[in-house]
Amino acid sequence: MTDLGIAIESSVETGGRGAFRMFLRNKPAVVGSVVFIIIVLVTIFGPGMYGTEAHKMAAGPFLGPGDDAGPLLGTDYLGRDILAGVITGGRTTLFVAAVAGALSMGLGLVVGSLAGYFGGWIDALLMRFTEIFQAMPSLLFSLVLIYLIGPGTWKETLAIGVTMWALPARLTRAEFLRLREMEFVKASRAIGSTDLRIMTRTILPNAMPPLLVAATLLVVIAVLFHAGLAFLGMVDINTVSWGSIMGKNRGYTLTAWWTVAFPGLAIVATGLSIALIGDGLQDAFNPKLRGR
Amino acid sequence: MLKRWIKVLSLLAVLSLFAAACGSSDSSSSDSGSSSASASSSSDDEPAAEEDAGEAQSSDDEGEEEATEETAPPPQPKHGGTMVIATTQVGANVNHGVNSGIGIAQPSSKIFASLTHLDKNWEPQPYLAESWEVSDDNLTITFHLVEGATFHDGAPITSADVKFSIEVIQANHPFTGMWGPLESIDTPDDLTVVLHLANPHPALWIATSDVMMPIMPKHIMDDGTPINEMKGHPNNVAGAIGSGPFRLTEYENTQKIVLERYDDFFIPDRPYLDSIIYVIVPDEDATMLGLESGEYDSGGYASVINAEKVSKNPDLVAIPDLLGGVGSLNHLQFNMANSIMSDLRVRQAIAYTIDRDYVINTLHQGQTMELLGGIHPSSPFYNADVERYDVDLDKARALLAEAGYADGLDLRINYIPGPNEQQRNVAEYIALALAEVGVNVEVIQAADLPSWAGIFFGGPDAWHMTMNAYFNWGDPVIGVQRAYVCANIVPGVFVNNSAYCNEKVDELLYAAAAEPDFAKRKALYDEFQEITAIELPFYGINALPIFGANQLYVRDQPDGAWGPLSGFENVWLDK
Repeated sequence: MTDLGIAIESSVETGGRGAFRMFLRNKPAVVGSVVFIIIVLVTIFGPGMYGTEAHKMAAGPFLGPGDDAGPLLGTDYLGRDILAGVITGGRTTLFVAAVAGALSMGLGLVVGSLAGYFGGWIDALLMRFTEIFQAMPSLLFSLVLIYLIGPGTWKETLAIGVTMWALPARLTRAEFLRLREMEFVKASRAIGSTDLRIMTRTILPNAMPPLLVAATLLVVIAVLFHAGLAFLGMVDINTVSWGSIMGKNRGYTLTAWWTVAFPGLAIVATGLSIALIGDGLQDAFNPKLRGR
Repeated sequence: MLKRWIKVLSLLAVLSLFAAACGSSDSSSSDSGSSSASASSSSDDEPAAEEDAGEAQSSDDEGEEEATEETAPPPQPKHGGTMVIATTQVGANVNHGVNSGIGIAQPSSKIFASLTHLDKNWEPQPYLAESWEVSDDNLTITFHLVEGATFHDGAPITSADVKFSIEVIQANHPFTGMWGPLESIDTPDDLTVVLHLANPHPALWIATSDVMMPIMPKHIMDDGTPINEMKGHPNNVAGAIGSGPFRLTEYENTQKIVLERYDDFFIPDRPYLDSIIYVIVPDEDATMLGLESGEYDSGGYASVINAEKVSKNPDLVAIPDLLGGVGSLNHLQFNMANSIMSDLRVRQAIAYTIDRDYVINTLHQGQTMELLGGIHPSSPFYNADVERYDVDLDKARALLAEAGYADGLDLRINYIPGPNEQQRNVAEYIALALAEVGVNVEVIQAADLPSWAGIFFGGPDAWHMTMNAYFNWGDPVIGVQRAYVCANIVPGVFVNNSAYCNEKVDELLYAAAAEPDFAKRKALYDEFQEITAIELPFYGINALPIFGANQLYVRDQPDGAWGPLSGFENVWLDK
């Protein structure tokens, strides 16, 4: 992806029918998309349709799946419906993942594009700053932040979002460094476009393909981070999320496996489906695979 | 195409790695657990008769009769070995004379000796005091100390040290009832202590026993530190010089506490163990895994589920009531210093909403005892005939409306970190139950005991209610009175944190403390329980069970009223 011809080709054909067709030919990616759409639809409409509220006691505690007295997927230590928890908990988990992903992507884009486009001391300064964040283990950093600012859905989102932006920042910078020397960028500059216009209208659309793939990865990481934080008991105990169901029932893993297995499966399914979509996107945007 | 599926597979692998990383704390410990379990099972290939003897030795009354029928001679105690005890309890120091708490009591009872031991019938037995006389009017008690007893630095233990220790306990310990009637202490010679009481004091024999009376070194602690500031004395932490069978050699209060045999202990040939290590574990499940794998020799837990697990495990000796004498309670405490909670109608509304039977029969699977007041249900002073506040949601709503909260109310509930089944789960249940009557309750979790206890130092608005676990500590004078009398509304933990003050209750408690006649004493405590059950500084839920488990080879664990909160000088390991 370093020579000029390919860059222009990708800029011309991305987002077009070609890429979409490539995506559809990637069966795992299609399966991933379908699963992901189902998950999103279930978390949006499921709680209303299912009726049982996730945080309320629905039946006796520790009823197994298939127990006639309890709901389909069993109940936890307070008799809360696990199925309702899985359906409702997705809202928090997906919200945190999406917003944290967007936050880190946004931060990364701003920092990376400024560094890549202007270069020089701005680049040096921003990249050293980025390296500070890169050097810290992200999950630990999130843990420390939560410890300092306290639990709560927005705070958790923030704590996850601000620890992940180094990756997209690096990637954006690399893309900007590469693209800013291209003919079409020089042409844009020659006709008198402002820096802002060149960055947002000329370079950014051409840098999107790898960034989109990175964005899917960030969302997967955010899902897992939130689950990890919740599992360690660092998230709001009053909010239902997949991770918090697992975390609260951690002590009963050996006696009531269903309390952690089903939310765990939901996390795996979500993470896998998003990762598959990202994989499909990468293939679709890769012109070298085209025509095969 | 093949390449693509390889990619999918590798993605799956990466995801499973992530999942494994998230659960690492549990999976790794269970891994190590299973590996060492297999290792220990091979070494446990001893004859089954050994096991039977072990069980009979350490179980209670019924077991002993069986033991006498068996012809095999009891195994002879052996010296040596390290006993590893898992505990979830963290203490601020190792001196139970200045603070209260299981985390402090465990090491304190080994590092410091007391005047007497309490046996399982609550009768005092000689320990540092080899004999004593009680005057006919019950007002003068004369103790004779063992000759030649020394502190861990070699200095002799004298009557001056005993006098000093009682003064320190009086001035610092939250259980003000223990030494209330004490008028003066005479020390006619180095080995004689005479206590003069203002009135008969039935709880004295608890106050002089085991964990309640650590004998502290006057020559070290009386160094100019004001007597009422002994909580902060360095001899309470690392490097503490004590009088008991074990010396403190390593102290990291959130990690581990290492005790080593004191060779010049005043009972010859004791203790048997070379050392005791208290390992502070994050939760009961860690205790459980360590017990199952043989990593820990002994441990305590409060979970009904874990109790069932141990009772089915042939490799462990289950102790159904580990801390019998302690009388641990599980109850909801209200902050009456707070402007919302000071309204009796709000507290009553909460009481009418909580279904105690649901907690006991469903959440605790019927394995805990109902608790209605401040006295443990197994105590002879327990009164079950008090206001119960049976569930009545309409009444609760009406009371809230009357108090001015018809449109709802936002409250917080904290809970003391401990067994989730007892505290967190009940706190979550209370929050859910109160939502039914329009009270929105936020559950506040604390990482450890000190951060939970911080709410008591944060002013009247720092908390509304908390799941708490006061212990009776043998006699109502010690463990109950402190939580209810006006004089004990002081900064601290396990004092009168509810800020409850009722003159009539004070009168009843003080009268009961000095009443030698059992029936009259019971009548006073009955009335106390009737009043407090109505006025609700606490809402009783259940008696907090404390179960224990030992490995089969742990022998002669103390069977007195204080259980493992005593000296351990007779404990030995048969391996």
